[in-house]
Amino acid sequence: MTTPSFNRRRFLAALGGTAALTLWPGLSIAASGGQTRLLVVLLRGAMDGLHLLPPRDDADYLRARGALAVRDALALDGSFGLHPKMMFAHGLYTQKQLLPLVAVAPPYRQRSHFDAQDCLENGTATPGGARDGWIGRCIQSMDASEGLAIAQVMPLAMRGSSRAEIWSPPLPRDLPDTLLQQLQPLYAADARLAPIFADAMTGAAAEMGQPARGAFRLPDAMAAAARLMRGPGAARIAFVEDSGWDTHRGQQLALDRKFGELDAGLRAIREGLAEEWARTAVVVVSEFGRTVAANGSAGTDHGVGGVALLAGGAVRGGRIGGDWPGLAPGALFEGRDLRPTTDMRALFKGLLAEHLAVPEAALETRIFPDSRAIRPLQGLLRA
Amino acid sequence: MATTTVTAAVNRFGLGAKPGELAQAQEPRDWLRAQLRTRHDPAPFAGLPDSREIIRRQNEYRLQRRRAKSDAAEGDDAGMPSRQTLRRDAMADIGLRYGLAATTGTPFVERLVRFWSNHFAISIDKNSARLLAAPMEREAIRPHVLGDFADLLMAVETHPGMLLYLDNAVSVGDDSMLARRRQRREGQRKLGLNENLAREILELHTLGVDGGYAQQDVLELARAITGWGTPLPRELLQNGAGSAFVFRAGAHEPGVRTVLGRRYAEAGEAQGRAILRDLALQPATARHLSLKLARHFVADTPPPALVERMASAYLRSGGSLSALYRAMIDDDAAWSADARKFKTPEDFVVSAMRAGGMRTDRQPLLLIRLLQGLGQPAFTPRSPAGFPDTAADWASGDALRKRLQAAAALSEQVGSTRTPLELAIGALGAEAVQGPFADMLRRAGSPQEGFALLFASPAFQWRV
Repeated sequence: MTTPSFNRRRFLAALGGTAALTLWPGLSIAASGGQTRLLVVLLRGAMDGLHLLPPRDDADYLRARGALAVRDALALDGSFGLHPKMMFAHGLYTQKQLLPLVAVAPPYRQRSHFDAQDCLENGTATPGGARDGWIGRCIQSMDASEGLAIAQVMPLAMRGSSRAEIWSPPLPRDLPDTLLQQLQPLYAADARLAPIFADAMTGAAAEMGQPARGAFRLPDAMAAAARLMRGPGAARIAFVEDSGWDTHRGQQLALDRKFGELDAGLRAIREGLAEEWARTAVVVVSEFGRTVAANGSAGTDHGVGGVALLAGGAVRGGRIGGDWPGLAPGALFEGRDLRPTTDMRALFKGLLAEHLAVPEAALETRIFPDSRAIRPLQGLLRA
Repeated sequence: MATTTVTAAVNRFGLGAKPGELAQAQEPRDWLRAQLRTRHDPAPFAGLPDSREIIRRQNEYRLQRRRAKSDAAEGDDAGMPSRQTLRRDAMADIGLRYGLAATTGTPFVERLVRFWSNHFAISIDKNSARLLAAPMEREAIRPHVLGDFADLLMAVETHPGMLLYLDNAVSVGDDSMLARRRQRREGQRKLGLNENLAREILELHTLGVDGGYAQQDVLELARAITGWGTPLPRELLQNGAGSAFVFRAGAHEPGVRTVLGRRYAEAGEAQGRAILRDLALQPATARHLSLKLARHFVADTPPPALVERMASAYLRSGGSLSALYRAMIDDDAAWSADARKFKTPEDFVVSAMRAGGMRTDRQPLLLIRLLQGLGQPAFTPRSPAGFPDTAADWASGDALRKRLQAAAALSEQVGSTRTPLELAIGALGAEAVQGPFADMLRRAGSPQEGFALLFASPAFQWRV
């Protein structure tokens, strides 16, 4: 984030749709150069994979979950269903654009949200393994690619790159345009701030016509990501985060709402990206999963094995990925959790290698340090 | 001295001028030096619970929650009194912090407090440390900010906030009594060493990342400070008052430790303390602290010679922070014409509060949301490295956009009867408010518009 380059302002201009076109004539929104796009969605708080992707008719599941078991899941393959609030995602599955991966977890094996998120984001084997993130290092290793996080503070995952930006929704108040116009000549006279002010005004133009203020939820964040991932010079890699997934109590109602939001978010990115969708992969992950058994307060507690979702026109979906270890008591991790069988880094490495063509040498040293033994997952994407 | 130097003292070394403050700093160096001779005053925070009390209440709350869990199938804990109490106290704590920043007559000292608080950052998005960041600043940082660095270091590393944030409270020596006893029991989780705090002490708090230590030093320091922990629930019940630091001999790794080539005999709690005392006086520590201070007070890339002179003054004084600060303000390089810093969001908000005589602290929620919206939520750097400290980290289009919006919100809070032009001159000095800038403020459609223009102006974004 040193002095903004022309390219970076163009990237901000992608916010503006037609407004940006008038500011930067000669650029065509449609011309994205055929570049692939990646959106990483982190659900903070440990999303319950067994509630999202229940193993239908599994006796161990039904017994362990009791009243909390999802019995009206939308059928996927013979074994798994998708939570009924995930209607849009189910449609993607039938179009072979959704690939759920079972029993995935970062290499961390304890149950602290904070440490697990750090581990997932820093791309190493431990919570304190790096002070920057795998997405940041990935952007830094790619030529002239921009990264964008929809966040108020740069997330750890995206730290480590000078080409990563953050964007968050505008504050409730605003300066009238007349005042902004008066400020313009003063900023023009400040050599350091003049280009930044120009960026700010480009962003301001783009905010016009946005929905009125209200809670900024996951679908809004994913819609914003879609806007910022379109067009030339736009972000190739974007990051969206959401919280509120820690369902120790009253899980059913809480997850009805949260899965509704996640589904709306997938619809927002699908519709927002329009023709870019064909070149896009969205990966939805959480720092870990939840206990197989329901707890005493109609919820679940922290458990290591979770689920990841891949969605997008570039994804080879319509099937269930990952190795399912089963929920028989003897198969559980420490007698309570779904046993993880896929290191989340293998998923990320597979995506970066196949989808963004990141060289393997960079993947196993810089981006995911000391991860040679963790082979990238293959066949995640359409050939 | 030139007016520009007066504004540097008040706006770059201080927290931004209150009305009339520029006139008080006509002898800029004396004005700063006098602040270094003040004594720590705990009065502004009197009445707030201390860390031990906060931990006790937190335990009580968790106990209640567990009971409620077994009672109700689907509970909503919002109605629980003790959760509200915890929240209210935490908000009051943060409100007082900003109230003090908005009004203090020793803003240089207050900026130093915030500098050290960020140097020893704990991020309250980690649950175990959520309620202890503001108390750590009150209890461990404020009393030592003008004293010896070794005392500051010791107070911070033994504070429950730091011990919980960087997991030392759960670090158990592999050969300790506790670990050996646990090994004999089947089925219980293994206890072991956690090197998180030790690593950050070396990398962030003292020597710095290039400070010449090795992984073996991290391990040895981690072993030396095993047993440094926080009170257990039953200990809090048994004994109402006391420290929130507990040394657990049973968790301490026995034996001689070697850090940076020096041997430290087994001495229980004192072993770790001896290592910290020595770390405080390492030349690498002196350079690391001097660079961070100079970067914070002078420029993103401070003159290396200034940093060297500060580091030598620190070492010569035997680790006195006041000597270190004095070396900085006595040095002409700290006052050069091109020395300036881009305000962080927090600098921006605090300086607007001071300039406009605002008491936004009385609405802590508003303040907390504003700081969050600007990208610098209070005590939430999301990393033990703290918030970054250069313009490149804070000056982006989206960030400036937010700042212009915040200027609109802040202008509504100004209680002053002064005109925007008077307010601007009081905040930035007459030299900085001339020509088109002054015309614009004079022509403003309403006082509130004028205040908004002042806060949104490029001149207000810098500490010059």
